Amino acid sequence: MPRPRSALIALALAGWGLAAWFLWQTEVPDDLRLPHVEPGDAVSAGEERAASDFEEFLRFDFLLSQVAVVGALALYAVFGPRFLRESASGRIGSGMLLAMLGLAFVWIVSIPFSVAELWWSRRHDLSEESYGERVLGGWLALGGEFLFICLAILIVMGLAGPLRDRWWIPGGAVFVGLAGLFTFVYPYLIPEQEPLRDPALSASAREYARDLGVEGVGVRVERVGELTDAPNAEAVGLGPTRRVILWDTLLDPRFSDDEVRVVLAHELGHHARDHLPKSIAWYALFAFPGAFVIARVTRRRGGMRRPEAVPLGLFMLVALNLLALPVQNAITRHLEAEADWVALETTEKPDAARALFARFTTEALADPEPPTWAFVLVDSHPTVVERIAMAEAWAERGGR
Amino acid sequence: MPDQLPIRVVVEDDLRRSRLTVAFRLILAIPHILWFFIWSLGAFILAIVAWVIGIVRGRLPDGLHDFFASYVRYSTHFFAYVLLAANPYPGFTGRQGSYPLDVEIAGPEPQRRLTIAFRLFLAIPAIIIASTLLSTPFAGGGGSGQNDEWGGGEYAFLGGGGVAFLVGFLAWFSCLARARMPRGFRDLLTYALRYNAQMTAYLFFVTARYPDSDPAEPRAAGDEGIPPQAVRMTVDDDGRRSRVTVFFRLFLTFPHLVWLTLWGVAALLAALANWVATLVSGRPPRVLHRFLSAYVRYTVHVAAFLFLVANPFPGFTGAPGYPVDVEIDPPEPQPRLASAFRLLLALPALLLGGTLLGLLFVVGMLGWFASLATGRMPEGLRNAGAFTLRYGAQVDAYGLYLLTARYPYSGPSRPAEPAAEPYDEPGAPLAATA
Repeated sequence: MPRPRSALIALALAGWGLAAWFLWQTEVPDDLRLPHVEPGDAVSAGEERAASDFEEFLRFDFLLSQVAVVGALALYAVFGPRFLRESASGRIGSGMLLAMLGLAFVWIVSIPFSVAELWWSRRHDLSEESYGERVLGGWLALGGEFLFICLAILIVMGLAGPLRDRWWIPGGAVFVGLAGLFTFVYPYLIPEQEPLRDPALSASAREYARDLGVEGVGVRVERVGELTDAPNAEAVGLGPTRRVILWDTLLDPRFSDDEVRVVLAHELGHHARDHLPKSIAWYALFAFPGAFVIARVTRRRGGMRRPEAVPLGLFMLVALNLLALPVQNAITRHLEAEADWVALETTEKPDAARALFARFTTEALADPEPPTWAFVLVDSHPTVVERIAMAEAWAERGGR
Repeated sequence: MPDQLPIRVVVEDDLRRSRLTVAFRLILAIPHILWFFIWSLGAFILAIVAWVIGIVRGRLPDGLHDFFASYVRYSTHFFAYVLLAANPYPGFTGRQGSYPLDVEIAGPEPQRRLTIAFRLFLAIPAIIIASTLLSTPFAGGGGSGQNDEWGGGEYAFLGGGGVAFLVGFLAWFSCLARARMPRGFRDLLTYALRYNAQMTAYLFFVTARYPDSDPAEPRAAGDEGIPPQAVRMTVDDDGRRSRVTVFFRLFLTFPHLVWLTLWGVAALLAALANWVATLVSGRPPRVLHRFLSAYVRYTVHVAAFLFLVANPFPGFTGAPGYPVDVEIDPPEPQPRLASAFRLLLALPALLLGGTLLGLLFVVGMLGWFASLATGRMPEGLRNAGAFTLRYGAQVDAYGLYLLTARYPYSGPSRPAEPAAEPYDEPGAPLAATA
């Protein structure tokens, strides 16, 4: 390997590592030691077993679906170019067709697993969605995915035309820009939103936002009660579009006001600690190398400027995503842990936090202590046991 | 081919219409309306008898066959009169050879008992098409609005909806003004009546032959060809359809629909500029003509793909060469007065074009099931779709974009095969080089 190229690669790796180190930093004290907590300390043995059984099925369903999807895309990478005969379009249009057909195959392959997951959730009274809604909803969502993949192909193949194998450099930047744009507009795409009408909770939300320096961040309630009983909340948006979304399932009598306050502080903590811009930055750290790998691998099919390379590119994209999943989960768990810490610091209600996290097991059937492989591969949040341990650690430290 | 079908329509009409009878056509038709209603009731009751006999014997008795054949002929005469497809007052017996727009029906033939047993279900696609073309008591309500158990509401027995109703309505004004039926209208009505006759004959066990939706015209006696058209359809499609792309056809069209919308905004502005330029200079500027021609072609390509009239994923530029395509003549001088009021003049064509979209939708819907099942698009459906696309392109070219001063031809015509290498020849139409 020529020396300048080696130096460039070394520089890029060093830059990557440095950026990752900066992004990894959180406000959780470095010397924080989590006490050992047994699931039985938070929930009954029966509740623990019910949650564990519930998640075990979902884990295997997820794993099998991923195997099926990767297998289908591997076959498509081999045989997909045959569908070029169904196109009268130019290279980019034909590439779009092949990409859309690839997604269509993924959708078909995923249907049984999606239906199985719904069956299991309905069986445990966690979902009220009908099978028809699930399949039809997935079918309609496929239309949106088709548009997105067409845009992605337009960008990649449009850049690969003049830039050949170097499309990944501007391509990565464009995709990072698109990720930012999507994060920015996402709050407007969430349906069924309404204001938080509880005066006490609203006042607490305003107080926490002021304490955390994110005064402009509002709270909205999403109506999902007709579809599911599971509680959830999320921090969405970027800059002026930032907001906290609470599912209305959190506002029913199962959860006390203090528990909801912990959720509010947790989500506001995401905004206060810039977790969404950080997530985009993390995405950038993976997007560039990922695009580079796709550009290299598809060279055997003429590179991404050729429509024949699109099925292979699609396969590589999904395979790389799957490979990166443990790292992505580790990053999101790290950010969630910081949000938990911020919530404890803001509300100073460790008991409410403990009760809330335990309720994730009793109400949402979250396995309090999943097996390590599942934790690494599937879980994007700390386990219930870890979260309770953090609440106890905070209390032991005497708060701030 | 229509000549080989057991149900054939024969047209011996000179397009002349009596203004007086046209003016009072509906009132004059009242005795026929009553008689048609009574005969229809009788036909329905006897159809049950015919169904049982057909299942037992595998063919219809001569007497019943003749009864239903007369009914099919009479209903065609009746609708032809009401909708102005023919001029003279029809008889009440449905006698063969007694009317300028007539139906020739072959004698009774053996039929498979199984198809007789399930005839009503098998006929559903044909009934849907017929209801789009011509609403009858058996062909559903079309656009009549109020539906009842007949499917057609209170005006169903008059053809209270569908393409034919609109054509008859528009033709009424034209016949009153010119004492002549526009050729395209007559041919379109003939197509609708032929299909309805075939569907009714199939439904009532007169024939086992499924109705043919191909709009290829039965040429009227004495007619001299189709009038020249400035926007011509070419079809180079082998009928094969990819099941995968058929299944996801709607979603696969999404990127094209987005692009079509964006291009449509530019086309609208270009159309406005073209209108002003044509008013000033008396002919469309070449550059705008080329741009708008490409847009019209692209619209045809996308619609052909979406509604399964063609198979391959189209390009995004509207370049010529798609299996279902339109050729557009180069810019020509256009009368300024007609250009000034083009939108107004195009109103009937726009109305008819909009109604024909219903037929295109039905083609796409039925073609979707057929293509998924067989991997092929039925030729008749494909040609029906191509006809609606051709008319739509002509309406766009005439009414919206002023690409031609030639009024859209509403009659069905057989699409042309694409000429070999038409676009590289010196002096080829400008649109072809767009």
